[in-house]
Amino acid sequence: MTFYLPGFRSFPKLWMSTPSLELGPATSPVFFFLPVTRNQHRRFSVKATPPPNSKAMNLLLAKARTPKKGNYSNRQGSSDHYFAAGAAKKRSHLTSNPQQREHAPSHVMSTIKLPTKPLSSGEWDKLKEDFNGKASFEDWVISQMVRSSSSVDAAKSLLAWVAAKNNGIVGYNLLVKYLYLCVSHKQTSEVIDVYEIMKAKYKCLETAANTILIRGLIHSDRWREALLLLEDIKKVMVPSKRNYNDCIQGALLHQDVDVAWSLYKELVGHNLIPLLETLKAFFDFGKDINDDHYLDKLLDILLYLRNNHLYPGESFAHSIKTWFESIPGRQWEGQFTTVQRSGHCSSCGRALESIHLSPEEYEFLKGEIMRDVIVGGDQYKKTTPQELKRFQNFVNSCPPFDIVIDGLNVAKMFFKSRESQILLNVVSQLAQQNLRLLVLGRKHMLMPSSRWRKDEMEQVRKQAHCFFADNISKDDPFLLYATLNSGNHCKFITKDLMRDHKACLSDVRSQHLFFKWQQGHQMAIMNNFQRSKLTFQHTLSYDTVVQTTGDSWHIPYDEDLVQRSSCEVPTKWLCLQQKTQAPARS
Amino acid sequence: MNVTVRFLRPFARLMLPFTIHRKRRNLYSTVLQRYMSSKASSLSCHNKDSTSPPEQLELDRWKTTMKSSIQEDGVSMASDKSEDPLAATRELIEMWRLLGREVPERITEEELKTLMECASKSAQKKYLKFLYGKEIKKKAEQIKKEMKAQAREEAEKARLLETTKGEEKRDFMFLRLWDRQMNIAFGWKGVQAMQFGQPLVFDMDYENYMKPVELQNTVSQLLESEGWNRKNVDPFHIYFCNLKLDSAYHRHLVKRYSGKWDKLLLTATEKSPIDVFPKDSIIYLTADSPNVMTTFKHDKIYIIGSLVDKSVQTGISLAKAKRLNLATERLPLDKYLQWEIGNKNLTLDQMIRILLCMKNTGNWEEALKFVPRRKHTGYLEVTQHSQEDFRKLKKTKTWSFLEGSLNVRTRKR
Repeated sequence: MTFYLPGFRSFPKLWMSTPSLELGPATSPVFFFLPVTRNQHRRFSVKATPPPNSKAMNLLLAKARTPKKGNYSNRQGSSDHYFAAGAAKKRSHLTSNPQQREHAPSHVMSTIKLPTKPLSSGEWDKLKEDFNGKASFEDWVISQMVRSSSSVDAAKSLLAWVAAKNNGIVGYNLLVKYLYLCVSHKQTSEVIDVYEIMKAKYKCLETAANTILIRGLIHSDRWREALLLLEDIKKVMVPSKRNYNDCIQGALLHQDVDVAWSLYKELVGHNLIPLLETLKAFFDFGKDINDDHYLDKLLDILLYLRNNHLYPGESFAHSIKTWFESIPGRQWEGQFTTVQRSGHCSSCGRALESIHLSPEEYEFLKGEIMRDVIVGGDQYKKTTPQELKRFQNFVNSCPPFDIVIDGLNVAKMFFKSRESQILLNVVSQLAQQNLRLLVLGRKHMLMPSSRWRKDEMEQVRKQAHCFFADNISKDDPFLLYATLNSGNHCKFITKDLMRDHKACLSDVRSQHLFFKWQQGHQMAIMNNFQRSKLTFQHTLSYDTVVQTTGDSWHIPYDEDLVQRSSCEVPTKWLCLQQKTQAPARS
Repeated sequence: MNVTVRFLRPFARLMLPFTIHRKRRNLYSTVLQRYMSSKASSLSCHNKDSTSPPEQLELDRWKTTMKSSIQEDGVSMASDKSEDPLAATRELIEMWRLLGREVPERITEEELKTLMECASKSAQKKYLKFLYGKEIKKKAEQIKKEMKAQAREEAEKARLLETTKGEEKRDFMFLRLWDRQMNIAFGWKGVQAMQFGQPLVFDMDYENYMKPVELQNTVSQLLESEGWNRKNVDPFHIYFCNLKLDSAYHRHLVKRYSGKWDKLLLTATEKSPIDVFPKDSIIYLTADSPNVMTTFKHDKIYIIGSLVDKSVQTGISLAKAKRLNLATERLPLDKYLQWEIGNKNLTLDQMIRILLCMKNTGNWEEALKFVPRRKHTGYLEVTQHSQEDFRKLKKTKTWSFLEGSLNVRTRKR
């Protein structure tokens, strides 16, 4: 069912840890100054004495973590928005403590040195005597070999030794791991040999072996047998998208386009989301083909990306560009670019699609939010029917708002100062711009206390409409509904990313709609210094999605060096233009 | 004679598996074979190595041997390819087992069907892992049982030898009927609790929120709770409210209690707790409640929602209490414990033990002993300090209180 064999599950982990290793020199001074283990850290933190200039170190760390992007901080003010790729990571770096991020304890490796060259039987025997682990020796050794991708010959000598010991029988798990080693070293002839042996020896194979065999066979002349193996998998379960990817790659490698497309159709038919590699392979292959039929299908792939809100990676974007430019007679020209805040492409100047929802979509989203997020099967979970009634009456009695403020979220922004004071500060600054405000909060805010001063709350109530929910009700759903009810011009202020409410929505389509609406309407307060004037993260005016106007394409893509979280959108674009029309524009 | 029997026995146990199952026999014999051949071949290899230089390693020899071995026995294997998905799945599982995956060795038709009905691959994997764990547990128990039986047999033999020597009568006050006496005593106390005990309600209204696995866990926890209550000095009078006849809950409970269900000293009713008790004396216990329980009140009726929630649906029981407009409380876990990991939701049997302890002693530290140790790092210093101060204060003020405080301390230990 999974792809990797159990023996090398930590492979991806190793791979993941490389970026932090790369940053080693930059981070090490900090750890040198603060050699605190986790246990000690707890004792320290009780006393709550932060080390001096820790903020400076934080900044230093944050900078060090994005090393390849010197101009990143410069761009921050102008073009970065709240949902820009990598923004959440940056925010977390600014707020988190460097002590929490420690080096993972280096993996204590084996007691035995793995052989780098083939060993004789005697040497294997000797090695086995030294071994004192739980697992069987052969198993352990070949797992380690796979992990460090040793030479095939060394593994072969191990198998020879095992076979000699064991009447010429080599266990299935050893064979599979050996096969993996062969495939990763691209030893096709060896793969075929093992394939023959396995086919003869075992009646059926399981998914792990099939997966590896498929990956090995597609490079050989017998790639069609990989399709048979895929059929074998299908008998029992749905093949994974990687199986399909391998088969499609194999078909394209051997110029069999029809098979590749039918496999692709099957893959999408299973409701699997194809790997971006698969799609990239189609584009890469398309360079050599002059066929309108093929062209249409590639454009279909682009529409698939659009509908499913997928974004190509950097190399995929390059492939798309090369393919477009290779179409004869049409003279496409591609540019890697960014989009201005106004929603115009920096390269061609065209306006991108607006972020605003169409009226139907808007109504649909409003209904979904009401149904799934607020009521959600049980009204009592988030509120009570009485309160809901009270809120609906309240919203309907007021004129549409311009801005809805999440009172508690805003007030808790700076932990040093008083909550009511911050809230008043924000509200009065916004009220000066003649905006109609709604402040949502909970009833406990009205109880006079050291945190919530009565006079300040009075002033807030004078300058804005206020609604106070019960202390045990959730206020976010009210925020969403009030904003949606006020109309398209209305924005809301909170730092909350609302991921939990997005998750409440039942289907993917409404989640996409919600996210689109959120990008266009959520304002987050940006400045970290309460005294100065408020500045907001600007809302997006354009939709980040693959889009076309017929003679132009705009495709957002992910940069390789930026980690984008699921609630963010890419900032880089690929702009494609048909040259014949370009002069008229410039 | 006797000596030989004892000497042979451990070996007999070793031989036993070979005779039981065919499949197992195969496995063991291959293991044995491998073991033997490794001993033999290592010697031969050594001899060969000493004669030939290490460069001439025949790396591909294993392939030829593999292939030749196939020609010997592989002909029959390739002939029958099954089209039946069930059989194919069975084979797949067998291959996975060879690969060292966590899958069961034997799987029944029914389990196989359940497996095929799993919605996703990960669900299948989880189910297989569950079966695997079950199988291992069963095997371990089987082995333990055999060992115990053997030990018992030996003890019996030894006793027989001894008793032949000296048979003498001894005087006892009681017959050995302890278990039955205890059960009868528990029954008496249970009846008293039914008449005069403080009610404790388990709300069974959450059947729709649970998957079958969770429901089974809930029933297990209910059984456990009932057992703890029965053994207590001063049991609660337990109510199972909202227990619909012929619901899955009811069926499971009847099945688990089998004949005992109708003789249980508790009240099972289809009614809601608000129909049985006055509304203002009910307190709904839920971890989501904003109110903290400070003391155990002997005149209140506590409700515990019998719900095991392994999915993420928060605030179900709070919503329920809100709907019925009931008072809610939660345990003061954060006040007394340095919480470390895990959910604040406790299992039903832990809840009832805490409540029983609170009812009998009123001491939170004592009662919160039943919170699993893995979930917290220890009792909070603050409360201990304040108590210590309080005690000191008492000590210095009046001597008469000293004895009392000493009593408290000894009881706590």
